[in-house]
Amino acid sequence: MSSSPTLVDTTRSEWLKFRTVRASLIGVLTFLVLTVGLAVLVSFIIKANWNHRDPARQLVFDPVATSLVGVFFGQFAAGVMGARVITSEYASGAIRTTLAAVPRRVHLALAKAIVLLVTFAVLGEVASFAAFEIGQLIYKSGHLPTGSLSNSTDLRAVVFAGVYLTLLTLVGYGLGLLLRTTATTISVFVSILFIVPIIVNFLPSNWQDHITKFLPSQLGTSMMSPDLTSQAFSWGVSALLLTLYTVVIVAAGTVMLVRRDA
Amino acid sequence: MLKIDHLTKRYGDTLAVNDLDFEVQPGVVTGFLGPNGSGKSTTMRIILGLDRPTSGRATINGRTYEQLKAPLREVGALLDAKSLDPKRSARNHLRALALANRIPQSRVNDVLEFVGIASVAHKKVGGFSLGMSQRLGIAGALLGDPQTLLFDEPVNGLDPEGIRWIRDFFRSLAKEGRTVFVSSHLMSEMAVSADQIIVIGRGKFIRSGTVDDLTADAKGTVFVRSADSARLAEVLRAARATIEPVNDSGLSVSGLSSEEVGDAAFAAGIALHELTPQRASLEDVFMDLTADSLEYGHHDVEAAP
Ligand SMILES: Nc1ncnc2c1ncn2[C@@H]1O[C@H](COP(=O)(O)OP(=O)(O)OP(=O)(O)O)[C@@H](O)[C@H]1O
Ligand SMILES: [Mg+2]
Repeated sequence: MSSSPTLVDTTRSEWLKFRTVRASLIGVLTFLVLTVGLAVLVSFIIKANWNHRDPARQLVFDPVATSLVGVFFGQFAAGVMGARVITSEYASGAIRTTLAAVPRRVHLALAKAIVLLVTFAVLGEVASFAAFEIGQLIYKSGHLPTGSLSNSTDLRAVVFAGVYLTLLTLVGYGLGLLLRTTATTISVFVSILFIVPIIVNFLPSNWQDHITKFLPSQLGTSMMSPDLTSQAFSWGVSALLLTLYTVVIVAAGTVMLVRRDA
Repeated sequence: MLKIDHLTKRYGDTLAVNDLDFEVQPGVVTGFLGPNGSGKSTTMRIILGLDRPTSGRATINGRTYEQLKAPLREVGALLDAKSLDPKRSARNHLRALALANRIPQSRVNDVLEFVGIASVAHKKVGGFSLGMSQRLGIAGALLGDPQTLLFDEPVNGLDPEGIRWIRDFFRSLAKEGRTVFVSSHLMSEMAVSADQIIVIGRGKFIRSGTVDDLTADAKGTVFVRSADSARLAEVLRAARATIEPVNDSGLSVSGLSSEEVGDAAFAAGIALHELTPQRASLEDVFMDLTADSLEYGHHDVEAAP
């Protein structure tokens, strides 16, 4: 009982908190159903309609991207889970008990980030690989074109799908630190991913080209795509840029956590 | 020892705590008394590092809360019993606190047993009654066996048995040499549970002392009864007393001592059937003390540009 607690102790405490509420289990299941389940559903539909597709569309069929389509739904479950790690504490008032136990707020913010990072890196990769493999099995059974993990471009796309999901979990968390309430955080998160791209679509096209490639959703697409349009960043730059966004949002959230009254 | 050092906290236009400055000594139960909105909870939150003071500071054995490495091993606190994740079980709540402060997990069962909620420790705290939540909060405060304990309105929601239990518990903590700081807005509660009382109003320090100190200099009233109470009232009013009739023949006299009342009646040739000095009740004392502070408060507001 003598030695001082460290970041490891704070992280163990936060991990225990994360895994001891049913909402986490429900969140994880939702995440898996959206990421894997939707990809499987879409893949089956494509397979069933394959022979009715016109040949031109058969030619552009991307077995990798299609099997990973669930990522763009799973990201919402991931973001919500990231946000709730902090917003649920503000909602119940538990944040005060937490901060009384861990007055070093930077430690607290980091511990929560570590729990989310590790959990969603594992879940994100598991979900991405599962979606990919199941998708390819479906395409193979219907004699559609397939991708393969032995192809380095395909492997990279799958790995970065998991990375994208992990980063978006942390974006949700950072927004939660900044905004404090679950409802506001989810609105902003959804706006960034859904509404901002739509607004950008209405801008003059020469503007669009400059703005679109900076949007998180586009960065995700670029990270997972082998063939790039000239308007997008490469997968490497996209991954770096999205990581940078994430770090900035979480850091800003941490500063606000430190500064504001609980 | 807990030290409040010229502490001020402003929320926008509200001056919640206004230059509070006092010390809370170990070995006794110290009551923190003030009407609603007087700044008790704010002071407690600042002590725990939850809110940042506008100026001044609060220290525990010379260090601010942020400087404590394992705070729960030095300070235990119960602010709001419902400040818990409702979906987590009582035991997991305490286990998480223990982990964060490197407190042995065996303490979790010990404190659950001590406050008497071990049998429901696996249940979600959202379903707990206020009394059970209070007990869980106390368990959390005791988890790290701290030297300093803070409780914000701890008797709220407890039944009479629970209130008695918690009073005895505070006494035993103080007897062990710990610093025990307990807030309340009820003077009667403080009178029975606290050895030392600090009274605040509108964020400002008003008085401190034992219950006897606080009641000693409060002006009491004198109850007199006479067959001719109308004339007696006249006589006493002439002596600048304030009179309130009680029942048919009784008068409650303030502004004069019982000796002065007796002498005045004798001089006027009125026979007294009863002459009883009445000590001010605790609530009267409290109202007296804080009514003044409220008035100052009003002046402050009016004087502001
Ligand atoms: N976070 C806050 N933001 C704005 N004003 C606040 C905040 N917290 C407290 N106040 C105000 O500060 C004053 C003191 O409030 P506080 O809760 O400390 O009083 P209290 O003595 O605990 O009262 P009670 O007996 O009702 O619990 C009140 O006027 C309150 O409205
Ligand atoms: Mg209060």
